[in-house]
Amino acid sequence: MDTSFMTRLRSSPPQASPPSFEQFFREQYPAVVRIAFGVIGDAQAAQDVAQDVFISAFQRFPDPGASEHACAWVRVAAAHTALNAIRGERRRDRRQQLSAVAVPPMGPEETLLDRESVAEVRRALSRLPRRAATVLVLRHNGLSYAEVAEAMNVKVGHVGTMLRRAESALRKELQNASRL
Amino acid sequence: MRHVSSPVLRRLVDEPRAVPDRARRHLAGCDRCQAERTEIADNAAVAARLLGGTPDTADVDLEWILLAERLRQPGAARRTVIKNPWRVPRRLAGASIGTSTAVGVAAVAIGVGAAAALTSVYAPTHVAAVRVSQTDAQAIAKLFGLGSDQLPGSLPPSGSTKLAFGQLSWTTAGRARQVSTIAQARALTHLPYSAPATLPAGVGSPSSIAVQPQVTATVTFSQNAGPGIAGSTLEITGGPGILVQYGGRSGLAGLPALAIAVMDRPTASSTGATASQLETFLLSRPGMPSGLAQELRLLGNPGTTLPVPVPSGMSAQQLKIGGASAVLLTEPADAASGVIWESQDGVVHGVGGLLDSKDVLSVARQIG
Repeated sequence: MDTSFMTRLRSSPPQASPPSFEQFFREQYPAVVRIAFGVIGDAQAAQDVAQDVFISAFQRFPDPGASEHACAWVRVAAAHTALNAIRGERRRDRRQQLSAVAVPPMGPEETLLDRESVAEVRRALSRLPRRAATVLVLRHNGLSYAEVAEAMNVKVGHVGTMLRRAESALRKELQNASRL
Repeated sequence: MRHVSSPVLRRLVDEPRAVPDRARRHLAGCDRCQAERTEIADNAAVAARLLGGTPDTADVDLEWILLAERLRQPGAARRTVIKNPWRVPRRLAGASIGTSTAVGVAAVAIGVGAAAALTSVYAPTHVAAVRVSQTDAQAIAKLFGLGSDQLPGSLPPSGSTKLAFGQLSWTTAGRARQVSTIAQARALTHLPYSAPATLPAGVGSPSSIAVQPQVTATVTFSQNAGPGIAGSTLEITGGPGILVQYGGRSGLAGLPALAIAVMDRPTASSTGATASQLETFLLSRPGMPSGLAQELRLLGNPGTTLPVPVPSGMSAQQLKIGGASAVLLTEPADAASGVIWESQDGVVHGVGGLLDSKDVLSVARQIG
């Protein structure tokens, strides 16, 4: 890595955004990138999603401290953006199948088994209804029932219903895929 | 009782302490509910294994620098990539404008099954100290429109009273009464009371064993109580409980040498308002002492914390009893002290009396 570039960047902190947005970013970034990673299963892609989420969040909430919805918004946005990304992959996979273009090889660090199972889970997730996939991703990446409820604007008591149905649907999708 | 609903069974997997105790008791004796819970837990485990993951540690400093670089650039780099990730803000905006019609429609939209259901909004899992002055206590009594004749201890077994923002009614499963043995108290309450094997010097045998049956209080918020709250119902359940006093009364301030109390934790369910709406509503009432409100907000998640009021002049210390968070209250001269904690099974324990903190903790650690 170009360390002089990094040093230069770090020594001149950007001033384009208010300090409260930087604080908001630092507090929310770990949760956002974790949610995106839960969907995509690729750290680099998850970081790209997180960047896009915060760009949009800045436009919507330039002073996030003044909005009670900013935290919930970035989390749901992370889930939706990551789900969009894997749906895009699904379309690409289909195009590649139809045009008989070889799928580019993945990184050497990934075993064949990992690659297949990760891809299968992502495919199953991408076939679920959007809200079902979102509740799964939020809950299984560290959000409490109360946080999921706030993020999705539902009652806490409703999260259990959504989660149970989504988990059952995910399992069925995976079982169907394994039978194909 | 009816079978435990599947959403509640699902929540049992993740947040068992947030589930009402009566549901857990039903589950313990119901094969059908146990089978459904097993299936739900299996599905949850599969999803957790496949979807939960932690990316390699991201360099937040670097990511911030990259983001800020993009934010400084006009045009393409700052173009909105996410067009409409969330339809919820519009709904939230509508709710904040707040009409009772909108609240009603939202309630229906959530589903017929959930419409009449009580949602757990308070199920404490741990205790935390909150400093309450006498002025605070008076302000709260005034805020709720309660006179001294309506304070706990002087309430009849059932009744109702008008509050500043609605109606409070309560019922008990029977009158508090004395029993002659701890075994009787256990049988009446189904509480796991265990007596300490060794008592501090000067403390005699139990002099009084009292049982308080479960109390259920219902607050019906008036129609002008505010958005999200108006017309909703909050049901609060406390107890049953056992209070055992040792060594008789010393005569000093009417305090026993030693008292041990156990009770099922208080829980609350709401038909409409969420925990956060209720918190905002109650803490923003005119007359609510601002320092106390701030201290309650700082507790974090109000739905899982049991506040222990610390009267002025007493010191409070947070410690552990049997692995659970506990609050130790001590009189300045250490002539009287008490400790309160909630154990893993959702039972709140209190040990206190005219003993120094060392003796009180010694008793607490035997039973905790």
